[in-house]
Amino acid sequence: MVTLAIALVLIFILMRLAPGDPLARLSEDRPLTPAQVVALRARFGLDRPVGAQFVSFVGALAHGDLGTSIQYGRPVIALVSERIPATLLLGGTVLLLNFTVGVWLGVRQASRRGGAEDTALTLLSLSAYATPSFWLGLVLAWLVGVKWHLLPAAGMEDPLLDPAAGWLAHAADVGRHLVLPALTLSIVSIAGTMRYQRSAMLEVLRLPYMVTASAKGLPERAVIWRHAWRNAFFPVLTLFGLWLPILVTGSVFVESVFAWPGLGSLAVGAVGYRDYPLLMGSSLLVAAVVVTASLVSDLAYAFLDPRVRLS
Amino acid sequence: MTVLLEPLRLAWRTPRGRAGALVLLAIAAVVIFAPPFLPDPLAQPDPIGGASLAPSVTHPFGTDLYSRDVLSRVALGGRISLVVAVIAVGLSITLGALVGLVAGYFGGVVDAVLMRVVDAALAIPRLFLLLLVLAVSERVPVWALVLLIGATGWFGTSRIVRAEVLRLREESYVRASEALGASRRRVILRHLLPNTLGPLLVAATLGVGDVILLEAGLSFLGLGIQPPAPSWGGMILEAREVLVTAPWAGLFPGLAIVLTVLSVNLVGDAVRDAVDPRGA
Amino acid sequence: MAAAISAAAAHAQSPDPRSAAVIVTGGEATTPIPTLMEGPAANVANLEVADHLFLRLANLGPELITSGDRSFVPQLAKSWTRRDSVTLAFDLDERAQWHDGVPVTARDVLFTFERARNPAIAPRLAELLRRIASVTAESDRRVVFRFSRPYGEQLYDAVWHVAPLPAHLLEGIPPEQLRQSSFAGNPVGDGPYRWVRSVPGQFIELAANERFFLGRPGIDRLVVRTASDADARMNLVLSREADAMDNILPPLTNLERMAGDKDVRLIPVPSPTLGFLLFNQRDPADTSRPHPILADREVRRAIILSLDRGLLVRAVYGPYGEVPYGPASAILWIRHGTPKPAGLDRAQASRLLSSRGWKDSDGDGVLDRNGLPLRLTLNFPASSAARRQMALLVQQQLRQVGIEVVLQQFEFPLWTEHRNAGRFDIDFSATSQDPSPSGLTQGWSCGGGTNAAHYCSLTVDSLMQVAIGSSDHAREAWHTVLRRIEDDAPAAFMYAPSYVYAVNRRFGNVTIRPESSWLLLWKWTTGAPAARRTAGY
Repeated sequence: MVTLAIALVLIFILMRLAPGDPLARLSEDRPLTPAQVVALRARFGLDRPVGAQFVSFVGALAHGDLGTSIQYGRPVIALVSERIPATLLLGGTVLLLNFTVGVWLGVRQASRRGGAEDTALTLLSLSAYATPSFWLGLVLAWLVGVKWHLLPAAGMEDPLLDPAAGWLAHAADVGRHLVLPALTLSIVSIAGTMRYQRSAMLEVLRLPYMVTASAKGLPERAVIWRHAWRNAFFPVLTLFGLWLPILVTGSVFVESVFAWPGLGSLAVGAVGYRDYPLLMGSSLLVAAVVVTASLVSDLAYAFLDPRVRLS
Repeated sequence: MTVLLEPLRLAWRTPRGRAGALVLLAIAAVVIFAPPFLPDPLAQPDPIGGASLAPSVTHPFGTDLYSRDVLSRVALGGRISLVVAVIAVGLSITLGALVGLVAGYFGGVVDAVLMRVVDAALAIPRLFLLLLVLAVSERVPVWALVLLIGATGWFGTSRIVRAEVLRLREESYVRASEALGASRRRVILRHLLPNTLGPLLVAATLGVGDVILLEAGLSFLGLGIQPPAPSWGGMILEAREVLVTAPWAGLFPGLAIVLTVLSVNLVGDAVRDAVDPRGA
Repeated sequence: MAAAISAAAAHAQSPDPRSAAVIVTGGEATTPIPTLMEGPAANVANLEVADHLFLRLANLGPELITSGDRSFVPQLAKSWTRRDSVTLAFDLDERAQWHDGVPVTARDVLFTFERARNPAIAPRLAELLRRIASVTAESDRRVVFRFSRPYGEQLYDAVWHVAPLPAHLLEGIPPEQLRQSSFAGNPVGDGPYRWVRSVPGQFIELAANERFFLGRPGIDRLVVRTASDADARMNLVLSREADAMDNILPPLTNLERMAGDKDVRLIPVPSPTLGFLLFNQRDPADTSRPHPILADREVRRAIILSLDRGLLVRAVYGPYGEVPYGPASAILWIRHGTPKPAGLDRAQASRLLSSRGWKDSDGDGVLDRNGLPLRLTLNFPASSAARRQMALLVQQQLRQVGIEVVLQQFEFPLWTEHRNAGRFDIDFSATSQDPSPSGLTQGWSCGGGTNAAHYCSLTVDSLMQVAIGSSDHAREAWHTVLRRIEDDAPAAFMYAPSYVYAVNRRFGNVTIRPESSWLLLWKWTTGAPAARRTAGY
């Protein structure tokens, strides 16, 4: 938990040091008089020294109060918790696809190394990874949503769906809206997962005991899945630790192209606004997730390979 | 310079590596030598009638939103994009490998401290770290920008390398080597590092694409390349508005990026095969 | 299982007999309540949704004239009389009632203005309402406004800035708690639509107020959806998941895309946007000294003459934009009758520059004087596609007369900081103007809040005061102001565009108002009942 504290302090300092002022955005269209500026600064506590601001932030945090967003005028906790379900849904789906399809494809590539399939998949995955996610999203939204009219082009729900329609209809509605953004994010992230998994599998397949097992005459499939897979899972576990926070905050581009109401777009909007309370709140969440994910993957290493000694 | 050429030399041994190296050299050649022979990439000859024209004989890659020739912008833009990518990614994987190796091998306090720092850094959005620079000085020269991008991109790689090392240091041949009295440096360089080349390679390949796009996002923030100077990532971001109506404006820089990533991958694969002590 | 799913699908598919309209906008309306829209909440999204829920005393007429007493349209107030040069009396319509059935009375007006004029509660509104001396009730339905002095926009100030709130629901709630109160989550108004629900980050649903005394709204359900990305908004309209969207942004290819859909009608509406290149008259390095290059009026005039502003506007906005004369956007009623802005005249520009001592003495293509090259930085925010496109062209055009322009794009808060601190040579500014020309004092008077270039002309200041004070001859007085400003050339006024809205053709009687887009949506009619718009079934 020391990490969390360090991260928080660092984020706080960085934000305050970065040039730009939340009040800049406020005077975008309707300029503020000096008196108004003074009043607003006082209201948001910006006129106090940075140290004092941090102390009051921590104090409020101890009471579970993350402050009020400058941009929205609502409690940060409310704003963040409203966005969590959408983020979890999208992130969870993508993670699931990654660790099933992604791992499977990577392993498959490794076992058929050098073949036509391996080359094709390499080409595909690298192209997919090098493609900006917003591009892919825009193309999918336009093709599938507008031109072919198969799925919704944006949003998470159909606003005209009768609220009393029953949970199944609602679930189906959200599900249909989920397909395109999840597909977009998955294509790009699976491409990366595949590369790492393939590389890791290749390492393991070359190990002496693997060659021995193959020589002993076990059918190749069994060899791969029973012996190699476990060991090759290590880097992918690390990937889990790395990608979990990214997927929790969502890909900002994907959220914006599909108007998906997740945390990512909230956080980036807060950066552009210099909305300090909202930034701290969402950063706190991300930091907590990262730390947890690191912990989980460290424990998983130890579990998977008892020889590994952790500090 | 020789550092850059060494991987190409190693890659030359295999047909696939050769193909990758050739493509990379071709891209570099176009980027270095072609621009003087192409139309001015900054000129907007006809902002109303000449904008977003489809590819034709006069404009093989078409024109962009501002009626500028896409081919010459891709050629000139490659200079900055490639330089940024190579140096920044090189820096990232070097730092990532270093920290991962040290943390994984030595363990104990060293590991704990290093990983806490890495975790804290991962918890901070990369954007912030880069915004901080603006606080220090507003006009950041491109070389400083490149170093900064590299310096903020190694955290994830270090965790992956560390994971590999954690697994590998228990392997019998590593243990044997240590028992025989090999120095730590030797163990790390001879046994551990080559085996981590796999994930490092993947990180490098993926990082090239990441960095080019990151550089574009940064110019949006006022760091880095100012308009009208072109860069591949910047072109893709600008082309977003005409994605459906004029796809060539973003397609060609995108293809350039993909080609670069692919050939880096091929070269890297060949390098890894050449270096791997146990052979393919 | 399959039976259950198809049953659910069938249920969802059974046609809703109520008519519906879905609008998609870029911003999210989180607090659409008068007197709460302060600071960041004073955004277009909140203002527009508030206009569905709450009724003003009167609206602007079709010509958007803000001066005088005649050109306004009665809403809550069915009529008004002027008693003397500083007193107006309003008679409220007896039919008006809040959504909970309670009649609207003078008490509501008094209550609202008491809060709105209090700088501690609503600083922005208090500033706008500063010339109102008192608001009193003579009876249940008569309200009297007294002003601090005679001036042309008394009626405008009384009716436009704030719509009355229900006193009977809010009197007991202290102002600082209003934001967290249940009223804020479920506002009760007196307008054509009433609140149904809000799904944060996604949409707000409103329902027609069947007892609306000015007429029953033609559309039963109104949904205001949010999508911050312009492409997402366009896709929603093209896929029929939304019926209307506000402003199709540049580049022009977006307009072409929407125009290609024959079921979508494009509606241009004068916009309050004004873009201009602001010339800093002080040295950015030391704001106490004049700018070494731009303090010279002839140089500023030469720059304006070197720009083909018509070409620039056409390149970015196509047929939907104009070159403004003076700082007058398309929404300002005073722009009618102004002279044509100066066009491109490079010969004259070069003459002006050389007459002021600027020559190309070292043959590098850039003019110089006493060793100082004619090089200027041009700041603009990265978020504005229009300004980015124009800045590139401006750079190109000015190079042809020997002026070197260095472009600098910034993240928005940074750009604002540079602007406010005066750290620029040329700033590509844009503002969103109120319908009242008195807002010009903000940017163009000596002490103006947004006058970042320190442009100061006492003549213009006094001319503006005269114009603000006049009632019948306001237009001529403001034209004099605009002419003086153009003469002084503190900025090159670049664009006054029209917004282009997209509305599905199945709606009839569609009017979009420049001062508040969806103000008259309640008068729209819909042809066929809403067909299910969802795809995939």
